[in-house]
Amino acid sequence: MSELVKRPTIVPMRPTGSETRAASLREILAFALADESYGFPLARVREILKLPPITPVPRAPRHVLGIVSVRGVITTVVDLRRLMRVEERPPEKHARILLVDVGGEVLGALVDEVLQVHRLAEDEVELAGVVGGDLSDHVIGVGRPRTRRDQDHAGRELIVLLDPEPLFARLERG
Amino acid sequence: MSDLRDEFLSEAQEIVESLSRDLLLLDQAHKDGSSSQELVNEVFRAVHTLKGIAGMFGYARLGEVAHALEDLLDDLRLGRQNLTTELLDVLFEGVEVFQRLLAESPDAEVSDVDIIAFLEQLTSVGASRPPVEDALAAYAIDASVLAVLTEYEEHRLRTNVAKGVGLYRLKVRFSLATIDTQLEDLKARAKSIAEIITYLPSASGGDGDAIDLDVLLASSATAATLEDVLGGEGAVLERLTRGTSPVAPVRATEHHALVPPPPVRTPPRPTSAPPAPRMPSEPPLAKREVTADQLSLRSVAHTVRVDIRKLDHLMNVVGELAIVRTAVMRLTEKLRGRPELRQLAIDLHRINRGFERHLEELQDGILDVRMVPLGQTFDRLARIVRQVAREHDKEVVLVVTGAETEIDKLIVEELSDPLMHLIRNAIDHGIEAPKTRELAGKPPGGTLVLNAYQKGNHVVIEIEDDGAGINPQVLIETAIRRGIVSEEGAADMGRDEALQLIFLPGFSTRLRASDLSGRGVGMDVVKTNIGRLGGVIDVQSEVGTGTKLTITLPVTLAIISALLVRVAEREYALPITAVQEAIVFDPKRVRRVEGREVVTLRGETLTICRLDELFRVQSKARGRRYLVVVAVGQKRMGLVVDGLEGQQDIVIKALGKSLSRVRGISGATDLGDQRVALVLDAPGLLDEVLTSTERTLQEGRR
Repeated sequence: MSELVKRPTIVPMRPTGSETRAASLREILAFALADESYGFPLARVREILKLPPITPVPRAPRHVLGIVSVRGVITTVVDLRRLMRVEERPPEKHARILLVDVGGEVLGALVDEVLQVHRLAEDEVELAGVVGGDLSDHVIGVGRPRTRRDQDHAGRELIVLLDPEPLFARLERG
Repeated sequence: MSDLRDEFLSEAQEIVESLSRDLLLLDQAHKDGSSSQELVNEVFRAVHTLKGIAGMFGYARLGEVAHALEDLLDDLRLGRQNLTTELLDVLFEGVEVFQRLLAESPDAEVSDVDIIAFLEQLTSVGASRPPVEDALAAYAIDASVLAVLTEYEEHRLRTNVAKGVGLYRLKVRFSLATIDTQLEDLKARAKSIAEIITYLPSASGGDGDAIDLDVLLASSATAATLEDVLGGEGAVLERLTRGTSPVAPVRATEHHALVPPPPVRTPPRPTSAPPAPRMPSEPPLAKREVTADQLSLRSVAHTVRVDIRKLDHLMNVVGELAIVRTAVMRLTEKLRGRPELRQLAIDLHRINRGFERHLEELQDGILDVRMVPLGQTFDRLARIVRQVAREHDKEVVLVVTGAETEIDKLIVEELSDPLMHLIRNAIDHGIEAPKTRELAGKPPGGTLVLNAYQKGNHVVIEIEDDGAGINPQVLIETAIRRGIVSEEGAADMGRDEALQLIFLPGFSTRLRASDLSGRGVGMDVVKTNIGRLGGVIDVQSEVGTGTKLTITLPVTLAIISALLVRVAEREYALPITAVQEAIVFDPKRVRRVEGREVVTLRGETLTICRLDELFRVQSKARGRRYLVVVAVGQKRMGLVVDGLEGQQDIVIKALGKSLSRVRGISGATDLGDQRVALVLDAPGLLDEVLTSTERTLQEGRR
């Protein structure tokens, strides 16, 4: 997973991909949280950290696990399970902290496991408006990446695409 | 580009500050009736330079204001305008306008600064030019001499003649090799008793190695005195009387090398004219002769301006190095445990000690660079004092001491607003109107003392007025009326406790907020802002005698010595400046006094706070605990902690925005080993614990 940190700034294009297709690709970093797959826009993820000791902060908002020092910069770590209101569980071996740029502050998000980077084409993403229902404002949409083995639409993996800003804005509300 | 702009802003800020200082001196000189010509020149030069650099950096509006002010100052300099209080008001207003313009982006489409109104004000002041009497005619000074005088010199000549000051001609002979130093020496000697209006090469010339100068002097001293002071080998002094020609005409033809071609009357705006060249070696002249572009191009040697963030970064690196040092120390200890590596361990230890010493030096060096004297801030306050006093028709003398006291640049920045508010308060509410003061047997003019000094690791700033003082009874009555305290609660409120009421939110003893003090900030905000800097504010007051506010601040926030304490298995850092002592905590000695836990320490009652309870982190520690006595300013309390982990220098780092509102924590620090400790906010905790117990006290009574 560490090569994610040094990801290239230019996405290598597949030979078959046309110019327009490449432009419409969404790069997503997929991660697991309570047996579900979620994704942040890759451009917003600064770094992936193995779990350092986290210092709890008394009287901090409920979703805040504590702080860590990332090369001297004090960074707030948020428990994404708590924030997403899924069952809480102590972090296990594969747990990682994603450093996510949330406009004005880089926050650490504790996730169960980092899965992979997906480049999703337009037709692999269903935007929230299309999915319908009352999705929270932090859900951009749903991604269904094609895999080689399985071209059948129904069996594809489903990734909930998250928008960091509205998601972490909940911190303010406590 | 933004670097250049920063550079401009910081230079412009400096110019405006020095401008403000000189204006204050000018104001003083105006009141005393003493000579102010040099100051007017200083002010003129400052504005001129500001105009120049504003143009270079695209601050068009700033440039426009500077240009208009420069015109007015030029008139003042050349005597076409008299120095009046109204004119000074406009100049002070100009400083305000400059500062507001500097705070704006030059590209901003909308501006809050109404420069049109200011420019109109300038024009109206500038329009009232007094007639200048021409007394010079009586002297019949040779036209060719008058012709080579700059407009400024001519003005000085006229002014002196108008005042009835005597005119003298001093003939001196200077060696060409040493003329610069000799001239400077002459000027220095003349300074106290005479004004040198100009000096010209004399018609008699001189020989190959020397030159004769005719110095035109204005002085009220007698010829004999002048002779004493200025006389020397070959010097001849002559008093000029009406009807005589003071200086022999210069024949340019004889001194081609030395004297400029036919002198041209200097145009009225000396700034746009090249300094009239007179002699080949004339740096002193050039200095005296305005400014033009030399000033803006000249930079102060040996000085660099540094962005404070760069220093913060360096400080961080020092912090990281300190962590490295600790790691090496730990390694050394391990090596010591192995007999065959003992010598290596000893060597390593020695090297590490050397490293430690240099690191300390580096740290002190960086801290030293961050320090700036409080004088800059005080100067700004002096302007406020003048302005507020005038607006209120009060007479106030400001006495400043300890302006050289140094404090962290970041603290200074944050200090301006609170201090400004306190000063406004002191003049608005404290110092009485002159008539009231006279009735009370006081001098009509009030005195405001601004005093600063360093006390250990703290800087103390005192603001003291000799005004009406604060009546604690009035405070209590107001507090009861506002429901801030209950009547019972007020009954046994001590005098000092009552004075503290002014720092409570929503407290103001004046019904109608004054336009000056009531600008949306109260003493509670002042207190909060000072608390944010790790400081405290205290008030003392005597009715009829005056009020004294004392602010105690840490010298720096960048790196501090801290006591590490342990609570519920976590380490916290407590700034050592706030720690008085640490003792073993004896639970049996805790008494409950009206809802709060206290212990008696050497005969004094000390409120205690169990940190694990306050932070809601259950401590499982059994056995010995400690009581750390924390004090800031006059407030004290005891913090109960599980353990003491020693003292360490730490670099305080801010918590992220998402945690900025957490109470009781002022930041965090890296302890190395990926360990992070929270830094306790001592003033904040004191406030929280002491006021919350007061509140429970009142609630208990209700």
